[in-house]
Amino acid sequence: MENNSNYSRRHFLKDLALGGSGLIILGTVGYKIFKSSDGKTIKAISVDFEKCTGCKTCETACSAYNHREIINGEELMGLGNPHLSNIKVFHYNPDVDVPSTCAICPDAPCIEACVISPDLITGRKALYRDPDTQIIKNDIERCIGCMQCAKACADLRGGVIIPNPETHKPERICQLCDGDPQCVKHCPFGALAYIEVAADRDLTNLAPAKIAEKLIEQWYNFNA
Amino acid sequence: MTLKGYYGRMLDINLTTGEIKKTQIPEEDIKRFIGGRGLGTKILWDKLPHAGVDPLSPENPILFMPGPFSGLPIPSSSRTCVVTKSPRTSAIDQKFDNGSTVSYSNMGGFFGPEIRFAGYDGICVTGKASNPVYIKIVDDKVEICDATKFWGMGTDKFDNALIDELGDPKFESCYIGPAGENLVPMACVLNTAARAAGRGGTGCVMGSKNLKAIAVKGTQMPQLGNHKMYLDLLEKARKSFKDDNNEGLKFWRYGGTANALTSSSQRGTQAVKNYGEGSFGEIEKIGAAANREQVWKRDFACFSCHLACKKSGIAKGSYSVMVHDGPEYETGTMMGANLLISDLAGLQKLIAVADDYGIDIISAGNAIGFLMEAYEKKLITKEYLDGIDLTWGNVDASLELLHKMCYREKIGDLACQGVKALAKDIQQDSEKFAIHVKGHELAAWNVPVNSDYWSICYATSNRGACHMNGGSPDRQDMAALRDSIAACSFAAGWYKNEISFAKFLSAITGMEWTDEEFNKAGERIFNLEKMFNYREGFRREDDSIPPKFFENKFTFGDFKGSIVNKKEFEKNLTEYYKLRGWDSETSKPGDDLLKELDLAFTIQ
Repeated sequence: MENNSNYSRRHFLKDLALGGSGLIILGTVGYKIFKSSDGKTIKAISVDFEKCTGCKTCETACSAYNHREIINGEELMGLGNPHLSNIKVFHYNPDVDVPSTCAICPDAPCIEACVISPDLITGRKALYRDPDTQIIKNDIERCIGCMQCAKACADLRGGVIIPNPETHKPERICQLCDGDPQCVKHCPFGALAYIEVAADRDLTNLAPAKIAEKLIEQWYNFNA
Repeated sequence: MTLKGYYGRMLDINLTTGEIKKTQIPEEDIKRFIGGRGLGTKILWDKLPHAGVDPLSPENPILFMPGPFSGLPIPSSSRTCVVTKSPRTSAIDQKFDNGSTVSYSNMGGFFGPEIRFAGYDGICVTGKASNPVYIKIVDDKVEICDATKFWGMGTDKFDNALIDELGDPKFESCYIGPAGENLVPMACVLNTAARAAGRGGTGCVMGSKNLKAIAVKGTQMPQLGNHKMYLDLLEKARKSFKDDNNEGLKFWRYGGTANALTSSSQRGTQAVKNYGEGSFGEIEKIGAAANREQVWKRDFACFSCHLACKKSGIAKGSYSVMVHDGPEYETGTMMGANLLISDLAGLQKLIAVADDYGIDIISAGNAIGFLMEAYEKKLITKEYLDGIDLTWGNVDASLELLHKMCYREKIGDLACQGVKALAKDIQQDSEKFAIHVKGHELAAWNVPVNSDYWSICYATSNRGACHMNGGSPDRQDMAALRDSIAACSFAAGWYKNEISFAKFLSAITGMEWTDEEFNKAGERIFNLEKMFNYREGFRREDDSIPPKFFENKFTFGDFKGSIVNKKEFEKNLTEYYKLRGWDSETSKPGDDLLKELDLAFTIQ
């Protein structure tokens, strides 16, 4: 796999403008454990759509890691039920596959939308940013399942947050697998990468259908 | 259900009555027939207790069968086997009006895994709906929905229209196109607008039930027998795909089966000019390299596959067309080399149109090739062809004929029934170059070079001529097993020694499957199919190959002069029966063998 660690903001903007192989849209994470050494860029999960084949191995890897099973008293990886995965691959026709996952946005519209008043001591709403890792977490004790976070994510970002069918509280917020994202680790095609990206990149066009539309236009253009 | 790795449950739908049931699968049947093709054939046997049932009658079930590997992220094991009684085959000496073989046809994609996520080991559809319908499955919730507005829609458009109607792109579906709706016998079932259970007329049976599509979405997975052992095997399997076989991976990712277009031509094993030649001088124009350069933009994989052999792009030139998949070796040969078509955009157009109509490209290309030969030999006129000037290499004429076949117009109505029906109508010895076995057309691998392998492979396959069958009992049993666990044959080479299929099955079920027991299950499945066919009246004389192979010599290429020796073939067939434990005159499996294979119930 190519080394993307020096991916700069300039490269990123160039790729976006050209719509070339570097069309990287997803993800950003916190500065503490995932910040780059020079402090100017941050690490994130990114997708190279030209390499994604839609195999959904990422879904199974995410699910297996985050939904363990206790077998004979021992905690083991789960079977990888894609339904429980935080990352989701969407198929489109003409043939485009769009892996979609929580971007851990720096400005986090989901936290913004959370209706629970900040705790007087911690200053946290039910949905909050973990100060150590910058990952977005949900305090299910305080969360009332109003799903305003999901609405904000759907309206403004990728629409990844959905309610748990039983608890009706938000799910699918990426926790980065303790710093070793399993989707990246297991992608057979090197389409997912955990790399440094510019912190101020565009996060407004993350909806899978919008991404697909753009890619279809680029790849299957009879007039090009 | 004490057996792990399964739900032990079929979804049983009767479209005549609208009854939807979840039925228990006998544990003994799961142990003996595993899943997919094997378990499907056993259920077919049970549902059709006597021979001669009309394959297009409501009585004939159509089964959509994943296997015990389906839904688990074991690389390249996402196949779905569609099993039914074939509308394509017939015996030479017909003992029943509707005597026909078993039909099993296999597709990749995402449909089979999703059936398992919804909590079923298979779906069985019988009966006939009074109007076009589709079946919608969300876990336990199953609905039969009106499909009138979709009737007549090509598969490409329908693929999107169905998702729009369902309002959720996470549904996986399979469906028929106009060919299946119009009861074209060689119609197929597709998913993702390209991956087809192409062979054996499965789409025709679906159409006969007024069933346009099945859409499914689920949230479950069954418990495994030995979870820890499975995880260990999975890790090893993933590692072996990553580390040890990079050349193999590169090969599949570069060209998929289309890599074989040029190599098969060089080796004289390609179907060219209605199987008259084994090499095509212009093959480079439609080969993998040409497609990489001119057409393919992206590679796509089935569920949890590392190979990504499906290629998509756009073809521009004499024709403009969106390419969902193609050419593969089979589609590129049957619509290309076999018709002497080397116009790449024209070939892509033919493949795309055939997929959109939902017709078996192998059989359709074979039928068009047969008519081209009959027309060249002046056995038929342009009038017979309804005004089509069906010369070799003619893309427009082939497109026109293809359209007529899918809509059953005039000559198309006969052509869509296949080369056996065409030869019967044309007569004048045309049967000699009608390239079928039991009524089912041969695929893109030509016979004379490596004839020992290919003649047995085609002659003895249980669905009629089939290139995936294998040319020896061992290979055939292994193919039956792969189709039963839901593994893909392209990746089978990775699964050996410490990560064998038998080991995975042991981990999934928690039952110890030795290699010996596993192989025996393959033999059992193959013999059950054989007994189904025997009951339907198929005998040794049906296990033959077309006379053309005994009479025609290649005139071109490195393998010029190749021909099949008939005596040699008959000798090999007798030898094959002996290896199988079948009677060399009637082809019937011996009673002792059947008992040993736990198939005593087939002895009548």
